[in-house]
Amino acid sequence: MCDSCGCDLTDNHSHNTDSRVIKVHQSLLAANDAIAAGNRAHFEAMGVVAINMISSPGSGKTTLLEKTIERLKGKIRIGVIEGDIETDRDAQRIRAKGVPVVQMTTGGACHLDAAQIHKGLHLLEQEPGGDKLDLLFIENVGNLVCPATFDLGEHQRVVLVSVPEGPDKPAKYPKAFISSQIFVITKIDLLPYFDFPVADARADALHLNPRLQVMALSATSGEGFEAWIDYLMGVTKNKESGAQAEG
Amino acid sequence: MHEMSLVQALLAQLADLATEHNKKRVITVTLDIGPLSGVVIDSFQFGFDILSAENSLTKGARLIIVNPPATYQCIRCGHRQSSLIRPDSCPECDETLLIPEGGDAIILNQVEME
Repeated sequence: MCDSCGCDLTDNHSHNTDSRVIKVHQSLLAANDAIAAGNRAHFEAMGVVAINMISSPGSGKTTLLEKTIERLKGKIRIGVIEGDIETDRDAQRIRAKGVPVVQMTTGGACHLDAAQIHKGLHLLEQEPGGDKLDLLFIENVGNLVCPATFDLGEHQRVVLVSVPEGPDKPAKYPKAFISSQIFVITKIDLLPYFDFPVADARADALHLNPRLQVMALSATSGEGFEAWIDYLMGVTKNKESGAQAEG
Repeated sequence: MHEMSLVQALLAQLADLATEHNKKRVITVTLDIGPLSGVVIDSFQFGFDILSAENSLTKGARLIIVNPPATYQCIRCGHRQSSLIRPDSCPECDETLLIPEGGDAIILNQVEME
C-alpha cells in the first residue's frame, strides 16, 4: 500500500497537486491517417484508383500482378508500389513487364505506412509514365496481420489467400478480412493437391464481413481470372465516369 | 509486431502534449483498444514498457488499457448486439452474417501529467 495516500498502487504515481488529467481522445493512428488522407487526395488529383494488396508471404501477389499487367496492357495504365522488408526483386519482376514501379524497402518493419506511400508516390511520378496512371497497385509487405491496421489512402483493399496456406486464414486473421472489400483465393490450380474447401473459406470470410466480394482464381492456369479483370475494369471505369460527372 | 510502431506514435503524442501543457512527467496514460483493432494488448504493453523507459518524460508511467466492445448488426433483421468476442449468430433470428461496427479504435483517451 502507498504510505502517502493509502491507495493500492505500488508503482509510480503522483501526489503532486500540479498533476493534471488531460482529455485527449485522439487515435494513435491520427498521424498515419492524416498522411493517408493526403495520399487519397493525391490519388484523386491524378485520377488513379489505388488498390492495397495484403496477404501472407508467398500467396502469389506478384505473380497475379505480372499476369494482370500482361492482360491489361494497352487498355489500362498501371503503376505499382512494391513493399518488402529487403530487396528490389519484386520491383524487377514488375519492371520487366514494362510498367512504372518503385520499390519501398521497410528495413525490418512488418507493414507499409501512409508516409512510405507518400514518398513512393513522388518517386513513382518521376518514373516514365508514372504520373499518368489509371490503376495503382500497392503490394504490401507479405504479412496478414500488421498491414491491416494502416490506412495508406487506398480506394480498395484486396486480401489474398493461396490454396496451400489453408482455408482457415479468414477465421485466424480477421482484421485483414474485415477491412477489405475483395477476397481473392489464389493458386486454385493446386486444389486437387490440397485440402482447401473453397466454400468453407468463403463462408468464414463472409461471416466476418458480409460485404466482402470473394473470387477464386489461378494466375497460372487463367481459371477464374476473368472475374478479377472485370473487377479491375469496373473500378477503373467507375472512376472515369465519376470524374466526367464531376467535371 | 506493428504494436511497436503504435507505441512510438503514442510516445510522440505524449511528447507533444507535454510541450503543449508545459509538463515534465507522465503519470498515467489511458487508452481504448478495441477487439477488432488488430492490436495484441500484451505486445502493446511490452512495447510500452521498453520504449517508455527510454526517456524521462514517460519513465515509470502507468498504462491503463480499456477494451471497449464492438457492435454487431444482423444483416437480416438489423438487431444490434455489443460483444468483445465475435458472436456466432443473431440472438433474434439466428442469422450468421453480422456486420461489425466500431471496435477497431486505438485511442489515446487521457493522460495524467505533472
